[in-house]
Order: sequence, then structure tokens, then C-alpha cells
Amino acid sequence: MDKIVLHLFIAGRTVRAERAIATLRRICEHELANYECELKIVDVLAEPQQAEVRKILATPTLIKEMPPPVRRIIGDLGGDPRELLAALNLPPNP
Amino acid sequence: MTPFDGLAPQVADDTRLRQIVAASADGLIVVDEDGRVRFLNAAATTILGRSADELMDQIFGYPVLGGERAEIDLLHPDGQHGVGEMRVVDTEWEGAPAQLVSLRDITEHRRVNQALRDAEAFNWAILNSLNVHLAVLDARGTIIAVNNPWIEFARANGDPDLQRTGVGVNYFTICEHAHGYWANEANDVLEGMRAVLEGRLPIYELEYPCHSPHEERWFVMRVVPLRGQRTGLVVSHTNVTVQRQMARAASEAAMLRERLEALERELVDVERMSQQEQVVPRRVSAIPLRQRNPSTFGEAVAIYHELLDVALMRQRGIPDAAPESGLRNLGDYLGIQAATPRDVVEIHLAGVRSAGTGAPPIKQQAYLEEGRLMVLELMGYLAGHYRGRALGRMGELDDGSTEPA
Repeated sequence: MDKIVLHLFIAGRTVRAERAIATLRRICEHELANYECELKIVDVLAEPQQAEVRKILATPTLIKEMPPPVRRIIGDLGGDPRELLAALNLPPNP
Repeated sequence: MTPFDGLAPQVADDTRLRQIVAASADGLIVVDEDGRVRFLNAAATTILGRSADELMDQIFGYPVLGGERAEIDLLHPDGQHGVGEMRVVDTEWEGAPAQLVSLRDITEHRRVNQALRDAEAFNWAILNSLNVHLAVLDARGTIIAVNNPWIEFARANGDPDLQRTGVGVNYFTICEHAHGYWANEANDVLEGMRAVLEGRLPIYELEYPCHSPHEERWFVMRVVPLRGQRTGLVVSHTNVTVQRQMARAASEAAMLRERLEALERELVDVERMSQQEQVVPRRVSAIPLRQRNPSTFGEAVAIYHELLDVALMRQRGIPDAAPESGLRNLGDYLGIQAATPRDVVEIHLAGVRSAGTGAPPIKQQAYLEEGRLMVLELMGYLAGHYRGRALGRMGELDDGSTEPA
């Protein structure tokens, strides 16, 4: 599989944002450890134009940019990591 | 934003459902497996700050929640932010799997909660800034809140984990099981607390010693009813050591003043006698010894300092440590120098200060206590000296037979 590119949109370093970041980092290090995984954090308070361009309605919003198709997830991203991977159309480690 | 009647055309024939969904204060959004908006009600457009036209068929996002509910930050087009509570259930839309997202705007709720937390934090900041150890007890005597000074004092005084004085501990039970030196006092405290709780007493107060190995400490415990809807008690412990020491110093000063006045009266009598009998060759000087003869004053202070040390040695049980003969000699010496009781008080104060400089607090206290007795004894010897001279018994004074006044 090609490189996995994830963009996480947050609104400031709130507790919710920190939890979502921690969840994604954990998934990148474990469930997706065998893939090249790029996680970019976009704080819409610092970069409001990004929220406008990507039509972000609420945060945390996670966008899987690569591999296609683009998928967009909203919520705290908690729970079973396999559910999040399924929602992202990403297979776990082979 | 264009008006929105709350339903997509696909369900327009279900009037009853349409009314319920449209009237809901919660935002309702149906998203398909791509996270695309397939349906939403009026409340959802309000919460998201966008028109239905802007939202329909747009990607909202596929919801993934760790629990039943999740909080999300709402981003409005005008740059304003809110907080939303999101819940999700699986559903079907036009025969395909979908997610029904309900959104509730909890921005105001969060703001009020934050304001309450800020107010509470402010109140606690005040309570923690007091130099008073505070605990709040419920009606059964269980500690339900304490301030930081209470915690710090407990940690520094034998209860590092707050096992006996922390939140959750029953203060009444602690008092009931007190034993040894504190048993009787603890019973009084328990009775006092119950009396305040039952309204038989408006306040219960107790002053008690709580000395540490290195310093003398006194505290006042006060128990007052908890004002408000809940029944309970507020227990405070205030360190009153300084006030107590000041009160003791004031009391000692008053006693010394009284004694001084008595000795002055006696000296006036002696002087009057000496004038009649021409025995005492000169008037007792009105100029303080410290000013008219500083070296003699300094010598007297040094002797007094040494005698204070002797007195402390006697207090510790060292044999042969007796300051009396030294005091008698000092009294005679001062008499020869025409010293007054005021000079004696100045020598006493300077001697205690000199001895106490750099000494630990307990030793300073011991100097004060010994000095209080010594100064009166020295005054007695001085008065005896003058009396003896006035009565023409100088020979008896010289052989040391004069008794203190």
C-alpha cells in the first residue's frame, strides 16, 4: 500500500484534541506500524483558512488524504481502533 | 441562510414524523457511509450555523465515537466557536446503511459550568490564602472539604497521608478514640462540636498547645455551624502563638511596671531618710546609668548575661549553679553607682537581648522566664542596699548579710 496521509483538524490544544492526537499516534505506531504513515495536525485556530477551504464543520475531524478514496471522520475517534480503521477504509497490519 | 422546513423531500409524505423531527431542539443529521449529509432538520442548521442548502449532500464526516456521546468543537462561518454534544445510532436511509447523528449545542451549558468552576476556584483560592486551617464537616462529623493550610499542617505534623485528618475521615470518631494526654480534651471537643451542631452553642472555642520539637506553638480551635442549606460544621485552627506571646509579654511588662513603681516609692522613702540622716552622700541620679556611665552599664549587662546563664544551668539541674550571690553583688555594685530601678530594668532588657541573640526560640523563652525572676531579685538587692545605707548598716552590707527586699 502507498503511503498513508492523515490530516487531523483540531480547534486549539483542548483535552478533546489531545485525546484525538494521542489516539491517532497510537494507531500509527501499532495498527499501522507496517505502513508509512504521515499524520499532520491542523489547528484551525491558527490556520482558519484551512477550515474554510476544506469545509470543516466541527473538530476533531480526520481526513484520510491517501490512499484514495478520501475519507472524512468526525468525532472523538475513541473506541476500538479497528472500527476507526474500517471507517477510514484502511486495513490493519498485514 | 435560507429557511428550511426540516425535512428532505423523500419523507415529505410522512407528516407526523416531519413535525416531530422539525420541532426537535436537537440537531438531527443523517449521513451515509461516506459521511455525506442526506437529511437534516432545522435545529441542525442552526447548530452548525449554515443553511440547509449549504449542508445537504456535503461531506459532514462519518461519525466515530469512543462512547455513547462525544463532545466536538463547532466551527461557524463567522469564526465563532461552540461546543456540541454528538450521539450516533445506526439507521437506514433509502435502503442503505446510514448513521443518525444527533447534535446538541452545549456551548452555554459549558460556559455556565466553566463560570461555576471559576467561581469555585476563586472561593477556594480565598480559603487557601487564609492563614487558618479550615475543614468542613457534614452532620455526621465526616470531613468533606479542607483547605491547603489544613493539608500542609497535617503533612508537617505527623499525618503525611492525611489518614487521620483528610477528607472522608470522621472527626467525631477520631475524638472518640483519642487516648493519653489528649483524651479529656478530645471529649470536650466532641461535646462542643455536637453542641454547635445541635444549636445548643453558637460557637465552640478551645485554646490548646501544640508545640513542635523546635518551637512553642499555641492554637485556637473554633467550631461554627455551616451556613447554608446543608447541615454541618466549619472547624478552624488558628495559630495564636504570636498573640499569646505578646499577651504574656504585656502581662509581664505590667507586672514589672507595678513592681518598679513600688520600688521607686521605696527609694523615695529611702532618699528622704538619707537626707534627714545624711547617710547616703548623694541623690540617686535622675540621669540613666546607660547615659552617665556607659562602661559601668555595659559591665552590668555582661554580668547579668552571665548570671542568666547560671540560672539556666540551675534550671537544667547542674549542681552549684546559683546566681543569688552574684545578683547580690551586682545589686550592691549598682547601688554604689547610684542606679535606679529603671536602670535595673534597662540592664535586664539588654541582658536578655544579649543572651537571646542567636539562641534557639526555646532557649530565648527560657532566658525570658529566668530573667523575669532575676530582675525582681536584683531590684530587691538594690533596694536592700539603699535601705541598709539609709539605716546606717553598711557594715552588714559589706559582709553580705543583707536580705533581698
